[in-house]
Amino acid sequence: MKNSYIGQAWLVIVLSLCFGVALAAVQTALNPKIESNKLRDTIGQIPSLVPGAADGKAETIGGQTVYRAVDAQGQHVGWVIPARGQGFADVIELLVGTDKDVKQITGLYVLKQLETPGLGDFITGDAWRSQFKSKPADVPLVITKTAPKTDSEVQGITGATISSRSVVGIVNGAVEKFRSAVANE
Amino acid sequence: MTDEAKKEEQQAPKAEAAAPVLHVAPGPHAFSTSLTTRRMMFDVLLALVPVFAASLWQFRLYTVIQLVICMVSALLAETLFTAMRKKPILIRDGSALVTGAILAFSLPAKAPWYVGAVGSFVAIGIGKVIFGGLGQNIFNPAMLGRAFVMIAFPAFLGATAYVVPDAAIDGLSRATPLTTLKQLGQNTGLLPLFLGTTNGSLGETSALACLLGGAYLCLRRTASWEIPAGIVSAVAAIAGLMQWLAPVAGWTVLHELFSGALLFGAFYIATDPVTSPLTPRGKFVFGLGVGALVMLIRKLSGYPEGVMFAVLIMNAVVPLINQWTIPTPVGGVVLEKKS
Amino acid sequence: MSNDGPTPLERFINGILPENPVYRQILGICPTLAVSNTMEGALTMAGAVAFVLICSNILVSLIRGLLKPHLRILVFTLTIAAFVTIADRFLAAYMYDMSKLLGPYIPLIIVNCIIIARCEICASKQRLGAAVMDAVGQSLGFMLGLMSIASVREILGFGTWFGKWLGWRVIPAAAPEIWSNWVIMILPPGAFITLGLLMGVMNWIEARSRKARKAVAA
Repeated sequence: MKNSYIGQAWLVIVLSLCFGVALAAVQTALNPKIESNKLRDTIGQIPSLVPGAADGKAETIGGQTVYRAVDAQGQHVGWVIPARGQGFADVIELLVGTDKDVKQITGLYVLKQLETPGLGDFITGDAWRSQFKSKPADVPLVITKTAPKTDSEVQGITGATISSRSVVGIVNGAVEKFRSAVANE
Repeated sequence: MTDEAKKEEQQAPKAEAAAPVLHVAPGPHAFSTSLTTRRMMFDVLLALVPVFAASLWQFRLYTVIQLVICMVSALLAETLFTAMRKKPILIRDGSALVTGAILAFSLPAKAPWYVGAVGSFVAIGIGKVIFGGLGQNIFNPAMLGRAFVMIAFPAFLGATAYVVPDAAIDGLSRATPLTTLKQLGQNTGLLPLFLGTTNGSLGETSALACLLGGAYLCLRRTASWEIPAGIVSAVAAIAGLMQWLAPVAGWTVLHELFSGALLFGAFYIATDPVTSPLTPRGKFVFGLGVGALVMLIRKLSGYPEGVMFAVLIMNAVVPLINQWTIPTPVGGVVLEKKS
Repeated sequence: MSNDGPTPLERFINGILPENPVYRQILGICPTLAVSNTMEGALTMAGAVAFVLICSNILVSLIRGLLKPHLRILVFTLTIAAFVTIADRFLAAYMYDMSKLLGPYIPLIIVNCIIIARCEICASKQRLGAAVMDAVGQSLGFMLGLMSIASVREILGFGTWFGKWLGWRVIPAAAPEIWSNWVIMILPPGAFITLGLLMGVMNWIEARSRKARKAVAA
């Protein structure tokens, strides 16, 4: 017995079993809370992204998960499109809010970014993000260095041209893709 | 001054005191007493005069303010850190002044006071004294200080920090030549680049001033001509090749050479005797490396200019270059042992 | 197994300064460098490490008589991995913001050398009391190391101290002509520079106190 494999390894086996059971219990107990945390991160932003929206529910349109924003009475008021793309330092993840005909952008939220602190991370600031409110969704937005003159212009961040250009690029791509997906429905 | 020379200087009085002993010391037995650290450093300061004049003409009072901040902080840092290490304080050799001046000339005119001050303290403290003082440092102290402040305060040293739209000085309201080329594809005339009526770091704008000061340094042998020669030939070769393959209208090899910090870096920064290779051949290789890296960073990275990073990267390679270029000793090749 | 070696109290004191994990053993450098740009991140990381270290030291000390020498590292890793996973899930459930901030560095505690080193050096050889005191001492030492680095980095990098939780501003917000935050302190190079300088300060203090002790003895 002493020299058999079981004799050598029984402690490891017993420990693995105990830990497995313990981890399973922890996971079962905490998973709903973790999932709701994750969901709140996205759904919780919907009222600020689409005017009049109170809640949202996930849907798959054109192979892409989007959120249908509904008001307190359950009326469809807009869409929230998750989008991601390469920034200056790392991948940027965004939520883009649009009205229900995807004619107008109603808001922008940055879920995840690792841009240069003090420069590129200005993309998370309210002042810069609010520029995207009521921009047209059917023409691509462009970055300018000066105050915007036309409807589809967004002023870039001084010293963080690449970060601001990336965000606009991601928004344009996501909106364009979603618009054609909706049109095909 | 080499270590051996220093040792010999220290040993000499002792030998005299113990009179009839035959004194045999390792070479060099004859060395120029005029080639002291102090003389070399003041040579560099003298060579910076044309750069200072051009900068004063272009940026007015900003030059003076930035120079005073950097040089005073560099002297303070040198005193403080050498005192902390209980080493004799050697401010009089002028090396801290040179580091401060070169750092100041590599900053934008409008950089706030703490950029120069923090840069100087990092340059002297982390760049030099930590390694054991002058002669022991691996990296060019001024460039190390600049790299630190560039990452610490990107808003004041990035490409956009150079542009001050409401400045009273005409030059400051435009983007730097390399930035306009990179972002807008516009070219700057050769004459403004040569004379220095463009925007840029304080010391880099005028190619003429850098050439004048650089020629003086090379003639005095304070700087080795092989390094600037290597840098210029590498940049010219790559720029020439690019112009031949994909010509940009109105942008020539000369534009590439005269714009940015290239000439300033080639003559004043890369030639630092402590952080460049020992042999002439090694120096030329070092120069080629810096030039190639500058072009790589200018053309393929997000930065408009790359002299600082190029010099720092090549500094790290210097021990390797020294290994490659060990000169043949007098008397012929050492025969390799057969195994 | 015999129970010689340092007493529980010695283990506790050693962990805090004389054998400080960050400044003396230079272990656990990955989280030390990665999450020390805010006090909140540093404290959460130190708390998670303390939880894992104490739990695994207790467990390993209890089963030390059953350990097979050639399988001990496997048992240590298994134990640590289990407790790290528990800590990670708890953070994700109850401190979601911190969990997002610390990202992969919580699961990476599994490979944090402090814990496996303490299991090997102390818990697998000594009684429960010594193992617990050792874990607490080392955790405090790690927390001290992390918080000292995070203090420097957060104050210079953001101008705040406990900015996310308590909102204390140390350096008043000023116009860019007067003062500005050092972005380099938020980024990884700032971690290396701060760690190096603080380690220098620690060595300097120790050299001085050693000199003072010698002077007293002589």
